[in-house]
Parts: sequence; structure tokens; C-alpha cells
Amino acid sequence: MDRKKAITLAVKMIKKNPIVSANGYISRDLFTVGDKTTNFYMIGSMGLASSIGLGLAIKNPKKRIFVFDGDGNILMNLGSLATIGSIKPRNLIHLVFDNNSHESTGGQPTSTKSINIAKIAKSTNFKVFLTKNESGLEKVLDKIKKMHGPIMIVIKIKNSDNVSERVPIEPLKIKRRFSRYLN
Amino acid sequence: MKELTQKQVFDYLFNNGIENFVGVPDSTMKYFIDQGIKRNKVLIATREEEAIGIATGFALSNSPSLVFMQNAGFVNSLSTITSLVQLYKIPLIFLIGWRGYKKSDAPEHLKIGKIQPKIIKSLGLKSKIIDDHNWKKVCEWALQQHKKSTLCALIIKRE
Repeated sequence: MDRKKAITLAVKMIKKNPIVSANGYISRDLFTVGDKTTNFYMIGSMGLASSIGLGLAIKNPKKRIFVFDGDGNILMNLGSLATIGSIKPRNLIHLVFDNNSHESTGGQPTSTKSINIAKIAKSTNFKVFLTKNESGLEKVLDKIKKMHGPIMIVIKIKNSDNVSERVPIEPLKIKRRFSRYLN
Repeated sequence: MKELTQKQVFDYLFNNGIENFVGVPDSTMKYFIDQGIKRNKVLIATREEEAIGIATGFALSNSPSLVFMQNAGFVNSLSTITSLVQLYKIPLIFLIGWRGYKKSDAPEHLKIGKIQPKIIKSLGLKSKIIDDHNWKKVCEWALQQHKKSTLCALIIKRE
């Protein structure tokens, strides 16, 4: 399963719940497969999607907040797992699309081949799921529907040549429409 | 800044609508942070960039937020400030401890302390130095900036 397939499936299951997506190919794919006002495309500030998601989760306890992250992104902000784990937001669901690489900068390796993100998340109070294919991802997304967070789903994906376009929406517009939806 | 003033600054901002105080501790403003912890309004992050990310989530939810940090953490966060806070015009108030303001401060703070005003100017970040005498007026200014959705910074000197 490549990232676009995984994101397509996740978007279908998540429906209208808010999503914060990490910079790079993740935001591009999310825009391409299902642009919605409930998506916050974080086009810069690498590593911070999980932190923005935490802020949203604390202030919107009745909404399920989804974070679409990459392995490179979360490795840059592992501290956020400690902070999230100490606050334990029940409505935060963190999807990590893990291809063991910084794909959007040329496919350089990350350390997720040798270390276990799922174990790190588990030790910081996340409920953790690991999936490798579409049927697995579908099952997990269904299973967590009524489960309390924080939840992390690590989705092992393969790299592909199918690259989505850059998010063409102005950052200010991304913010305004997202904020309008929330408030 | 005196202990009493720091506590007054916290209470003034809190009583005038700032709901969240997120950051990484700095001894320059320890009484300010203590007051916030006492009021259960402080969230301590692992890094300043993380604090800015969390505060962005609050701000997107229309909940006014201040991010506190030492200047070392402020300069660590330059990319986050330009590519998130300024790019998306996220309304936040920064409170920055100015280590290295005096040449007698510890050596690791001196270079940043010296170039800090230039960095703030280059960023186009609106800022004011807050002290024991002007604190109320400066807080009022910061609240006005926040109402206009403008990012601004309050600077506390390490005397």
C-alpha cells in the first residue's frame, strides 16, 4: 500500500472529523484525495502536526481530532509524545504514515527501520495499532471509533512515484476556513 | 523584574482574556510561571517550538494564548515563527526572557543576548520591553495587538 492509498482509505473512514496534516507529501496527498474545510494543511513547521493536534484536542473535547503525520515528522518532535501522554486527550488520534524515509526530500532513510515508534508511543500512554495493508487499516479505523485516546496508528507504507501537487490554497485561507468550521 | 510585578503581569493578562500560558520555563520569569501554575493555567512543553504548536491549536479554536520562553528557545523557533505563526497569521503573545542582556550574564547567553534585537527586527516582530514601571501599559498594548490578531512579543530583561 502506498501513502495515497492509505490516505484515501483513512479519509473515507474519518469523514468530516478535523485533520491536521504534516508538511510534505502527506498534506499534498490529503489535499488531492479529499480537500475539505476540516483539513488543516501544515505546509511548514516540520514536526509540529502532533502539537497543533494536541492544542485542538484540548479545546474541542467533543470533536475527534486526527493527526496525519510521517515518520520523519514525528521523529523531529518525539517530545510531543511525552506531552500528549501526560495530558492524555481522549479525542486525539495520531496516524503515522511510516515509509522509513524522508520521501519528499529524496528518499533518505529515517531511523524507523531500526527503532520502534509504536513502542515509544506505548510507553507514553498511547493505545497503539500497527497496520501494513488496506484491510488492516480499515479494521483498525473501525475498531477505534468508540475508543478513547490518545491513540496512535502506525501505518507501514511503500514509496511510490505517484506524487501529488502542492496544496494550492493560501495559508490564510486554510486557517480561516478551518477556524470557522471549529468555532 | 520583581516577584510582585511578575505575578501582577500574569494576573492582568489572565483577567483580561488570555486563557492559556504555554511554554518552556526560564528563570527570568519564574514568578510569572509560578503564578500561572498556581492558577492551573500553565502547560509546560518539551521545546519552545512544541509550545508554539500547541498554542496554535488553541488559537485556531479561538482561545487566546501566550507562549513563554527564554531567548535561546526563541531563536530555536525561528522557522516555526516564520513558517507557521507568521505565514498563517496565528494571533499569539510571546513572553521572552532576555538572557545575555548584561555582559555579566553566563557566557552561553552573551551572543544571542547581543543579536536578539536585530533578530526581532529582521522578523518584523512587534515587541516591547516590559519592566516594573511600565508593565500595565505594555500588557494593555499586547492585548490590543492580540485583539487585532497581530503577533507580538514582550521582552523581560535579565538584570
